[in-house]
Amino acid sequence: MHKGLLKRLLPHVVLLVFSSAILFPILWMLRVALTNKMNAYQIPPVWGNPNFNNFIEIFADNSFMGYFVNSLSIAIGTTLIALPLAAAMAYSFARYNTGGLPLRLAVLSSQMLPPVILVLPLFSLFLKASLLNTQTGMIIAHITISLPFLAWLLVAFFEGDIVIIEQAARIDGATRLQAFLRITMPIMAPGLLAAGLLSFILSWNEFLFALILSGPQTNTLPVGLSSYQSHRGVDIALLSAAAICAILPVFILLPLMKKHLIKGLSLGAIK
Amino acid sequence: MNTRAASGLERGDRRFGLMLTAPGLAVLFLVIIFPLLFALITSFFDYTLINPNHDTFVGLDNYQEVLDEEYILTSLWVTLKFVLASVMIEFAIGFSVALALNSVTRFKNFYYLILLAPLLINPVVVGLLWRMILHTELGIANYAISLMNIDPVNWLGNANAAFWTVVMVDIWHQFSFMAILLLAGLASLPREPYEAARVDGASSFSCFIHITLPLMRPVIIVALLLRFVFAIKTFDIVFIMTKGGPGTATDIISYFIYRAAFFGLDIGRASAMSIALLLIVLALTIYLYRYMTSLR
Repeated sequence: MHKGLLKRLLPHVVLLVFSSAILFPILWMLRVALTNKMNAYQIPPVWGNPNFNNFIEIFADNSFMGYFVNSLSIAIGTTLIALPLAAAMAYSFARYNTGGLPLRLAVLSSQMLPPVILVLPLFSLFLKASLLNTQTGMIIAHITISLPFLAWLLVAFFEGDIVIIEQAARIDGATRLQAFLRITMPIMAPGLLAAGLLSFILSWNEFLFALILSGPQTNTLPVGLSSYQSHRGVDIALLSAAAICAILPVFILLPLMKKHLIKGLSLGAIK
Repeated sequence: MNTRAASGLERGDRRFGLMLTAPGLAVLFLVIIFPLLFALITSFFDYTLINPNHDTFVGLDNYQEVLDEEYILTSLWVTLKFVLASVMIEFAIGFSVALALNSVTRFKNFYYLILLAPLLINPVVVGLLWRMILHTELGIANYAISLMNIDPVNWLGNANAAFWTVVMVDIWHQFSFMAILLLAGLASLPREPYEAARVDGASSFSCFIHITLPLMRPVIIVALLLRFVFAIKTFDIVFIMTKGGPGTATDIISYFIYRAAFFGLDIGRASAMSIALLLIVLALTIYLYRYMTSLR
């Protein structure tokens, strides 16, 4: 009897321990963001009235708004370009095995590429082409991550039952292009949207490319946050508020793509 | 007649496939393959940020310099230690959490959502967050352990502590990756072998060893390989938390190459190192790919 109870409780104990290990630091940062600047430093902690002054202050700060808008437009631009290209590629991989194994391997390898390898030549090339510190340059850099990621991920989307519906359409006289554009794409739209959101997040969170290829006018949020560290070194209340704003959009998008997240994380290896 | 019609269809398929692939492939070539070839060429030249031109061909000199470089071995050793330590501990924690989550029904979704959280958090924020918590005088971590009468720890101050602190932060950030992949594997295991084993009176432990582990092998290998490659890429948390220091304690390979290029200003030599790193990652990727396709 006791053994059964222990067996039922043990998993919850494990899960509670690790869930709190995850939650505590995040909640702590939220607390720091909601206190006033003096209290943020008090050890032992002082619990004042929570307020949103830090959030108001960072949004009144032009540089923060700049980072936010840059991150947003680069992530949206990247996804809008990469998603259709990747969808077409993934579809022809899945349906017609275009390019065979070599091409699939090339796409997977691009995905595994450590960014530091690519950032060196991109820097030299951008220097020549005057693309450093431009949004175009940043979007190009982020496409190197998003396009292979999406192309690889979407192959799994186009395999499966959709083939049967397509074949029916083809028998009814639809051309290959019509079947792809009018049948497959609309049916796959929710999956494509989820994949697009994952690509948005990849770009939103990306740091190394932005650190080296962007400049004062095009710095993204991660670069902005890393510079707060040195410039305001000590202003942890403002820093926490800014960090919360950087992770909030991702959590807002989470429910929309929860279902597809495993496929995305495992590069389609696990469904 | 029939075969001709079939080959016509096939040709149509192939042409349509190429048409769909061409734009993406062209972009992929332009933004990835071309820059990589550029890096390969640069690695044979004396190309620096002071003189960013391909006017001095030096053959394999850059590669020779990399081999002679005193600290590259240190950096590779740090990278290997970091990758092995973090991935192995992430695997152990991730597997325990996956097993626990697979066996509960209550609050399952709640736990699952919490697990997803760190994976989506910006790595820069992860680094900043932990710097704040682990600050020697002003951090909550040292205050918490002082309540338990433990002396304050200088988390990022000495070599050994800094290395394990970075490993710990990476584990915090990434163990859910393992947990979620392994959970997906566990959830798709068949029930029959367990029922048969129960009838034969097998204990939970021997079920785990003789049924769960062998059936989970493919998922385990894929999850480990993916995390290995991703861990080799680690840059952000090191940049934010330690800048490779103190000394060379956390100078992992991505940071080492970054420093050679943008502080050492020697792009040629950094390119030689990155080409070598590329070969290592390619080998791992090919292994992963062959493994993944053998499962289908």
